[in-house]
Amino acid sequence: MKKNTFYLLIGCIAIALVCTFWYSDEIHSPLLIMGGFIVAVALIFYALSKVTDLIQDERDIKITELAMTRTMLVFWVIFCTFSIGAVAQMLQVPSFPRLPPGQRTVTLLSPRLMGFVQLGFLCLMIFLYVGFRIYYARKYGEWDTDEE
Amino acid sequence: MENGTPMKNKIKVFRAMHDLTQDNLAHAIGVNRQTILAIEKGKYVPSLDLAFRIARYFKVNVEVVFIYDDETPAGLNETGNGNV
Repeated sequence: MKKNTFYLLIGCIAIALVCTFWYSDEIHSPLLIMGGFIVAVALIFYALSKVTDLIQDERDIKITELAMTRTMLVFWVIFCTFSIGAVAQMLQVPSFPRLPPGQRTVTLLSPRLMGFVQLGFLCLMIFLYVGFRIYYARKYGEWDTDEE
Repeated sequence: MENGTPMKNKIKVFRAMHDLTQDNLAHAIGVNRQTILAIEKGKYVPSLDLAFRIARYFKVNVEVVFIYDDETPAGLNETGNGNV
């Protein structure tokens, strides 16, 4: 398989995933998109192993590793902050009356809003990874020009 | 990280001696052209494995192509000229 065919395939898989996400929401079945995502990732890795004109050398691997590591470093801080907030919110579910009777507990995020925040985190992770990848690619001379 | 490294190399000289382009050399040792360019410019220090492959390709010892020069001020080689 040629490199460009692979990129085209990734585009098709991404569109299929968006459609699956939409359909999964329509039929209220989160398992569909979860399964679909695993299948999509497996397909991408399988297709990647069939690409013939893609040379991934040690410099590429180093750039990928560094970008991944930095992304995870930033992401876990943000994710943990949110998770700690969510746990603190969950613990507000009273086991004994803390508030005067009749007064509702103030919740920061509704379950629906939490879903959107998670979606935001996914996007953030992608942007972080792309950003770090560009940074390290520049650092290791990706777009340098030569006299040749 | 690698930009201030005392590791210098003479890949460009050896390429010229063998009349090779970066692309030719990259294909011969199985890496991308950008990797050869990055090594030549001192932006990336290759692994031992890659350094040996490059040296073997030119049929010389690895220390002939790669020089660890921590005495020379950055940007100068032993003759006082710019990067090789």
